[in-house]
Amino acid sequence: MPRPQTTPSSPAAAGLPVSRRALLGLAGVTGTVLALGIDAPGATAAPVGDLPDGLFALGVASGAPRHDGLVLWTRLAPDPMAEDGHGGMARGAVGVKWEVATDESFDTVVADGEALATAELAHTVHPRVKGLDPSTAYFYRFTVGDQTSPVGRFTTLPAPGEIPESFSFATASCQAWYHGHFTAHKHLAQEEDLDLVVFLGDYIYEYGITEANLWRQGVEVAEPHTVTIETLEQYRLRYGLFKSDPHLQAVHRRAPAIAVWDDHEVENNYGGKVSTTGISDELFVHRMAVAYRAFYEHMPLEVSAIPDGPESHINAGVDVGGLARFSLLDCRQFRDPAPTSDEDQQSEDRTILGAEQEAWVTERLEESDALWNILGNGVVFTAVTDDRTEMWDGYPANRRRVLASMGRSRNAVMLSGDIHRHVASELKADFDDPDGPNVGVELVCSSIASNGDTEKEDGLQDDWLAHDYVKMYDGRRGYVHVTLTPDAMTSTFWTVPWIEADDTAPKELGARFVTDVDTATLRPL
Amino acid sequence: MSNPPQVRGLTAEPALGRTELTWTSAGFDPLIDHYRINATRGGRRPSKTQLVGKTVFPRLTHHDVDPAGERWTYTVSAVTDAGDIGRPSEPLTLDSVASVSATGRRLGSLGEFDGKSLEFQHSPAAYAKIPTDHPDGVIELPADAQAADCPYLLPGPGDSWAGRKAYRIRWEVEAEDPSSVCDIALWFVDTTRLGGRLDVIVNGDTALEIEIPKGATLGSRDGDATRHGSLMQRAAIERELPADIIQPGANIVELVLAEGGWVAWDGFGLYARQ
Repeated sequence: MPRPQTTPSSPAAAGLPVSRRALLGLAGVTGTVLALGIDAPGATAAPVGDLPDGLFALGVASGAPRHDGLVLWTRLAPDPMAEDGHGGMARGAVGVKWEVATDESFDTVVADGEALATAELAHTVHPRVKGLDPSTAYFYRFTVGDQTSPVGRFTTLPAPGEIPESFSFATASCQAWYHGHFTAHKHLAQEEDLDLVVFLGDYIYEYGITEANLWRQGVEVAEPHTVTIETLEQYRLRYGLFKSDPHLQAVHRRAPAIAVWDDHEVENNYGGKVSTTGISDELFVHRMAVAYRAFYEHMPLEVSAIPDGPESHINAGVDVGGLARFSLLDCRQFRDPAPTSDEDQQSEDRTILGAEQEAWVTERLEESDALWNILGNGVVFTAVTDDRTEMWDGYPANRRRVLASMGRSRNAVMLSGDIHRHVASELKADFDDPDGPNVGVELVCSSIASNGDTEKEDGLQDDWLAHDYVKMYDGRRGYVHVTLTPDAMTSTFWTVPWIEADDTAPKELGARFVTDVDTATLRPL
Repeated sequence: MSNPPQVRGLTAEPALGRTELTWTSAGFDPLIDHYRINATRGGRRPSKTQLVGKTVFPRLTHHDVDPAGERWTYTVSAVTDAGDIGRPSEPLTLDSVASVSATGRRLGSLGEFDGKSLEFQHSPAAYAKIPTDHPDGVIELPADAQAADCPYLLPGPGDSWAGRKAYRIRWEVEAEDPSSVCDIALWFVDTTRLGGRLDVIVNGDTALEIEIPKGATLGSRDGDATRHGSLMQRAAIERELPADIIQPGANIVELVLAEGGWVAWDGFGLYARQ
C-alpha cells in the first residue's frame, strides 16, 4: 500500500483562517524554520550521538484532527527545567523521525516522515500527517537516534458527511500546577471513550510560584520559577514545568487535543493589546509576541497558529463528519478593553471576538449542516451579573449577535472554563427575557487545579443559581466528559475531592445531564 | 538563520534612585526572547557577566542605584528565540539623581528607601487589617513613630476593600532647626493601575497636590520590589515644600490619598536643605 504523503499543512483547505505568514508562503527566516518543524525530508541534522538521554521528557501530543490525519507534536527537552528555556538542548537542529501505525507494536507503519527540531522553536516539531483513513484508530511515536518517544494514539475523524454512532470528548481548563496535583487529568486519561480533548484556556499561569501559592505538596521549585514570567525563556520554562506532569502527558497521549488560550497564557485579565499592569500597549505587544510563540511551540497546533509577532490566529474549526462542528474562539486577542462605563458596556459596537473572527464563526454556525454545533472559548457566555465584565457579561451586544447565530444553527453548545467551577446552563435567545426560548446550552468546566481544594458550595453560587436557566454549580476541581450521538448529548461533570495532598483522590460524579436533540435543554440524569 | 541584531538607540534618563533605559525595539523577526542589560559602576564598559536585568521590553528601569547618586555605564544585547546573543549596544554612561534623603538633613522619616515595604505594618499582604484598625480612615503617627507603626498601604477612594475613602496619615514631625526650604520624599514600591493624587497638608495648609503614577497593582500582596523579576512599579517623588511652611517645633504633616486605589510605601521623609 502506498505511503501517504506528508506536506506542510494547508489551513485554507481545512476552512481555517489563513495567517499572514502562511499567505506569504512561509517566507523569511521564521517561515523556513517553521517549515522544517513540519516536514524536512533529507534535512541536515546534528549527529544524534551528541544528544543527551531523555529527549522526550515532555511527552508527545496530537491535535488539529481531520478525517485524513492530524498534527503530531513533541519537544526535545532532556532537561525541561534548564533556565535558558531550551530544555537542555544545544543550539543545533535535530532530525526527528515520526511514524504512524495501525498497531501499538508498529508492525504496520502506514505513514512516516521527518521534521527538523530547531532552537528557534525550542526544538518542537509539528508534522501534519495526511492520507490516513477516516474513523480509524492509529498509534504514533517519534524517534531520534536510538531514543524513542512514548506512544500516543488517536482516531481519525469520520469522513465528511458521515454520521458516526457516537463521538466523545472532554473539556479541561485552568491548570495552576502549583495549586495541586493533576488528579483530574489522571482520571481523564483513563476515560474509556475519548476521541478529543478540548483545552479551554489557562493551560499555564504566568504568576511567580512562591510559598504563598505552592499548594501542591511533595514538590519544590527552583528560583527561576518564583517570578512572574515575561520573557520567551521564562514562558518556555513554565510550559516545561507544567507539561512535565505525568497525568497531563497521559491525557495528550490518550487523544488528540484542540486548544484556545484565555488570559494567563500571557497575563491576567489582559484584553486586546491592553495590559492590566500599567504598561503601555506599545510595550505590551513584546510580551504578547513571546507568550503567543511559546503557546504555539508547546501545543499540537496547525501552522496557521504561528504568531506573526504579537498577532496570531488560533481560532480553528474541526468537523466530526456530519455529527458535530467545533469552532474554537479566541476571546482575548481581539476584545475591547474593560468597559469604562455602563454606556460603554452596553455599546452595540463592543466586541469580544473582533469583526473578522465574528464573521468567521457566524458563517460556521449559520451555514453548518452538522447536527451539533459546538463553540469553545475561554470565558463564560451565560449572563450572570453585569459586573463580571471579564466574561461575556462585559460584551452583551456581541453575545446577542452570537446567540442569534446559534439560534439559526442546530443544537448549539458553548464550552467554556475560566471560573474554576462547574456550571451547566441553558442559553436564552434573549437573556433579558428568561422565560423566552432557548437557543443552546453551555457546559462550563471547572479547573484542573486552580483554587486547590474547595467545596461544592463556595459562597459564590447564589449569583449563578439565582437564574432559572443555570441548572448546576459545583466549586470542586474536575473535568467534563461529553458524548454526542445523533439523538442526544450526555454531559458528565466529574469532580475530585482533593488535589493538594497527592494525586490519589477518586473521581466523583458531580452532575450528569442529557440534552435531547433539538431541545436546547439540560435534563438531569 | 539570521544573526541577532545589535541593539541601537540606547538612551537613558537619570532619575531618583533609578535609571530609565530605553532603546529601539529589534522587532519580531527574528523573535527576540529578551534583552540583556549589562552595567557597571563608573565609566568603564561592562562585561558580559555584569548582568543587571533581563526584559522582553525595549526598556528597563534600573533600580540598583545609590539614592545618593552615582555613575553607571550600560550596554544592552538582544537574545533571539534560538538563544543567540547579539553584539552589545554602544555603551552609555550617566549619573543618577541624588535623593534629598542623601543630600538633605533629616527632620523625620519612616522606611528605608530600599525598594521594600516589609518594615511597614501589615506588610506584605495583610491589607485587610487596615480598615479594621482605622475605621475612620485616619492613621495617627506620633513624632517617635517607626515604620512598623504605619500601615504599608495608604488606601484611597478607588478601591472598595478599604471602604472607598481617602485615608489620611497625620504625622507629627518635630523640627528642631528647620531651614526655610524643606523637601518631602515619597517613595513607593508600587501603586495601582488607577494612579491617583496625593495631597500633602502641612499644619493645616495644603502644600502640594501630587500626581501618583499608575502602578502594577502588585504591591498589596508583595513587599519586595527588588526581587529578581518583580513586575512591581516603583516610584520616587521628591518635592520642595512652600518656603517656611515647616515651623520650629511640632509640625503636623498630613498625607491624603485623595484619588486612586492605594500607594504601597517604600519610605517617606521630610528633609531640610543643607
